[in-house]
Formats: sequence, structure tokens, C-alpha cells
Amino acid sequence: MNICKVDDQIAIEVKGIKKNYGHLQALRGVDLKVVKGEIVALIGDNGAGKSTLAKIICGAIQKSEGELYFWGEKTDVQSINHAHKIGVFTVYQDLSLAPDLPVSDNLFLGREIMRNGFLGKLGVLDRKTMRNESKKALAALGIGLKSISVDTRALSGGERQALAIAKAVTWANTALIMDEPTAALGARQSAIVYDTIRAASARGLAVLVISHDIPKMVSFADRIVVLRHGCVVASLEAKKTTLQEVLNFMLGGRGENKDD
Amino acid sequence: MISRAQNQKDNSNSEMTESNQANVKHLSSIEQKELPFYEVILRSTAFWILVILVILTAIFGYLTPNNVFIKPETLFTIGLNASQILILAVGATILLASKNMDLSIGTNLILTSTLAAKVLKIVAGTPQEIMSGSYPNLTNAVIAAIGASIIFGGLFGMINGLIVTKLKMEAFIASLATMMIYWGISLVITQGASEVGIPRALQLGFGHKKLFDLIPYPLIVALIISGVMWLVMRFTKFGLYTCAIGSSAESAERSGIRTDLYIISIFALVGVLAGIAGFFDLARFATTNPQGHQTDGLMAITAAVMGGTSLKGGRASIPGAMLGALIPTIIQTGLVILGVGAFYQMIATGFFLVIAVYLDKKRYAGYLD
Repeated sequence: MNICKVDDQIAIEVKGIKKNYGHLQALRGVDLKVVKGEIVALIGDNGAGKSTLAKIICGAIQKSEGELYFWGEKTDVQSINHAHKIGVFTVYQDLSLAPDLPVSDNLFLGREIMRNGFLGKLGVLDRKTMRNESKKALAALGIGLKSISVDTRALSGGERQALAIAKAVTWANTALIMDEPTAALGARQSAIVYDTIRAASARGLAVLVISHDIPKMVSFADRIVVLRHGCVVASLEAKKTTLQEVLNFMLGGRGENKDD
Repeated sequence: MISRAQNQKDNSNSEMTESNQANVKHLSSIEQKELPFYEVILRSTAFWILVILVILTAIFGYLTPNNVFIKPETLFTIGLNASQILILAVGATILLASKNMDLSIGTNLILTSTLAAKVLKIVAGTPQEIMSGSYPNLTNAVIAAIGASIIFGGLFGMINGLIVTKLKMEAFIASLATMMIYWGISLVITQGASEVGIPRALQLGFGHKKLFDLIPYPLIVALIISGVMWLVMRFTKFGLYTCAIGSSAESAERSGIRTDLYIISIFALVGVLAGIAGFFDLARFATTNPQGHQTDGLMAITAAVMGGTSLKGGRASIPGAMLGALIPTIIQTGLVILGVGAFYQMIATGFFLVIAVYLDKKRYAGYLD
């Protein structure tokens, strides 16, 4: 524990992270910093190690070597639950919601509000408060559901994904990690999701997005980090870079690729 | 941080508010899915099962001599006869909600009631005393038998939960195996014979007793248990987690729910319900029934499914299951009074199961539109 180094701006710091699967080196010493409120897009070709890195940060898998810091404090993330305790939440494509439950039950799943007193001790839920709090939480993220008691199944893909992000944002206080948050969505649906991500970063969460939608990331993210063969090859300020530059780093060529 | 703020200011502030408004508009379209009260009722499977029950009762009432079928005594006898399957159907519903099932509750009932009968007789007195019909420790014996029913029932249920979670087996296979195991053990213990020497006092004090000379005690207990389970499923964390696990075990796990622990508990709870139903055998008939109840597990699932609970998990309709549990008993009793073979009951129940599930699917498809 390096308490004296505690930093209240750098939410996530990754130092020299390596991950080996047998002889395969998925990550060969990655360094990355994500500042409070920053949206970092993690970009790279298939097999570049994006998902592996995200999984190590969110506790789904363990690193082979290297160091992880949250708010400047060295932490070995043991599990997804451990990451939750640190305030790091991951949004899984459609997997973090139970389709048969109403929106508010889903938002509070695992962290329910109980009734006061004896009923609460019996395990009785305070659904009224949960509904009201859900409304507030969703409204704060710009998700204007008028009916909070509708089943999650009845929502569209974009709405479900926005709700999944809202669920993570409601409980996260360090970082939000997303692997292809809009992969299965159309343009309109994706817009809902991007607005929710933006709202999350405005709350001071560090946001790490893995995406194949590179043009969108160049306009949407604050910083683009390009991974290739398990190494960070570029960390570019999104405003000062171009799609061409990002693609060049990603594919390893310089100016040989077609512009699109 | 500064770069983000600038970025946002530069590029997307106006765009964001615009699309947020679009969001609100777009998302509120799902509000249509919230239906008026009567529509909710009309769409509930439980309501249509109730309609079927009323129609069946009216038909049998009309056909039976002196309309004896719709006399309160007859209806409460039907309730008494249905009291065990009522409890089992409620249990099956809870398991289905968690996307599990337990085929073994029927043979769990047989084995548990056999063991409870043994415990009762051991505590009640010496074999000689029992042979002569005197039970020196009757009160203690009854308490011990109830305790044994709950503990053994819960234990046998829990074994299913352990197989499902620890050995990672389908609930269908796990409980199919234990169904055979429990029945086999009870046949080994009893050699297929019913347990004798159960005190008549159990019938007089509970099994045959009626409140106001009308409402059978076992039915009252079954209704209280069902009611409590309904409240648990509807209003508590346990109910929420059960449905969450059934709806998406992965998301439940990722929300920090210890799904294995809950699944084991649900199986144990349903085992306890089977154990209580087993005690009803002792109390009502002063004997055990090792040759009956083997298919109770399937009948309980039938009742639950007729009542609108699907095998897909995530939903539970306990009132529906309670009504569904009455259908076979109503048909059977009606046919017996009419002097028609009671076996037709199975044929009719099978038909109703198909109709109920078909209607449920249509309703569900409409809901998804």
C-alpha cells in the first residue's frame, strides 16, 4: 500500500501489466492512466488485448505481472465483487439485467432498499422508495422513463443497454468499463447509450470504452489508446488526432492505408 | 478532466440536450405497455383458470344429483383433498420461478412421511404400548413427527439443490435421480407396506378436524402456507432473488447475489413444503402411502404451469398455481360423484394443461409486441 502516493485525480493506473495464456502473451506490459471524468477509448484489432486488459481491471481475470492502482493506491483486484467494492463496474452486453424484472428491481438488484423496522428484518423490500430512487437516478442520466414498473424485457435494445449503464453508474464511484456497448445497436439506440456514457463521465467517473466504432470514438472520447499485439502503441488526445492517424497506429502501417 | 469538459462544451452540448429530449420521447413510448387494471386481470392466466374452475363447478353442480357438488361440504372436501397438491404446487412454482424444478417432491413426501411415522412411534411409546393402542408420550411424539417432517423434507430437498449447484446438473436430471432414490429407499424401509400404528388422535385433533364444523384444518394450514409463500415471493428480497436467478442467473451473479446459496435454499424450502404435505398423510389417513404420490412432482408442475408460471423462469404466479392445483381434484371429485371412472380426470387435466399453456403463450406473445 502506497498511501503517500494517493492521487485524487487518477482513477485507474495500469503499470507494466502482462498476461500470459500459456505461451501466448496477450498483454506484454501495458501502461495506462484514466483520469477522473475522462472517457478513454481502447482501440485495437482483434487479439490486440483490449478485452483482456478490461477484464483484468474489472476483476474477471487475474494479471500475470504488473501493478494496478485505483486512486493512486495499489490494489490487486481479486474478483468482480472486489472491483465493485473499489467502485469499478463493468457493463456487460445484455448480461447484467434480468429481463423478467421491472426496471427499478433491476437497477437495485443486489443492493435493495428494505422497509424500516420489523418488516425490513423479515426481508420485505421498500419497492416504493426503490421506484422513486430509480426515477431520480435515470432522470439524472437523461433517461426519461415515465414508467418504472415496466418489465425490462419490454424495453428496446438501446434502452436496455442504457439501463445497464445506469445500473453500473448508480453504484460505481471510480470507473465504468464497457466492452462494445453499442455493438448490437442501431444509430438511434446507440445515441441513447452514448448520452448515458457522457452523463456518467460528467459525474466524475473514469470511463473505459472498448469499441470497434473508431470514427465514433474519435469524435466521442477524450483520449484514444491504441493497443497492438498486447502493447500500447499510441495514446492520442481525441481532439488533436484524426481517424487516419488512429488507423495507422492500429494497423501498424504509416500512410499506407486507404482513407475512409 | 479539463479536456473532457472542453470537448463536451465544444462538440456535443447542444447535440446532447437535443438527443436527450429525443430519448425521453422515445423511451416514454413503452408507457403504453402499462395496462389498465381490468386488462391486467383479463390477461392473467390465473383469472382464466378461475373461470374454468367456476364453469367446471357449475357443470358438476348441475349434473350431480340434488346439486350435491356445489354444497359447501362437498366444496370443502375438495379443498381438503387438494390441500397436499396445493402446497406442492406452490413449491413447484417457486422452483420454476428460479428456473429449476423438483420431480422428487412426491417421493420426498413418501420417504419423509415414512420417517416421520417411525419417529412418531419411537417417541410415542414402547412397541407393546403402541400395539395396544396407548401412546404415553403422544404430545411429544406429534411434535417430533412434525419436526422430522420439516427437517427430513428440507434435507431431501436440499440434496437436489446441492446436486444442481455443486455437481452442475440440470434440475430435471438431478431430481429425476433423487425421485427414484427417495422412492427406492422408502420401499426398502417399508417393503411397500403402509405404516400402521399411527395414533387416531392425529386424525381427531387435526386431519379430520374442521373449523366451525365446516372448514378442514389441513386446508386452512395449506392456505396459510400458500398465502405466506405468495407474500414472500411478491414482497421480499428472497422472492426478488428467486425471480432474478430464474430470469438470468448470470446477471444475478454479477449483481452480487450468491446464486448457489439461494438455489440450495429454494430447494430446501420446497423440500420442507413436501415434508409438511407428507405429514398431512399421517394426520389425515393415520398411515403412510408408499404406493401413491410418485407423480405428485409432475402434478405440482402441471398445476403451476396451468396457473401461468412458465418453465423459462423469472416469473411466479402462486395464486395461479393454487387455482391450477384445484382443477384435477375438482374433476376427480365430480366424476366420482357422477359414478364415472375417475381416470378420466387425467385425460381432462392433460387437455387443460395444453389449453392453458397455449393461451399463456398467446398472451405472452401479445405482451411482447
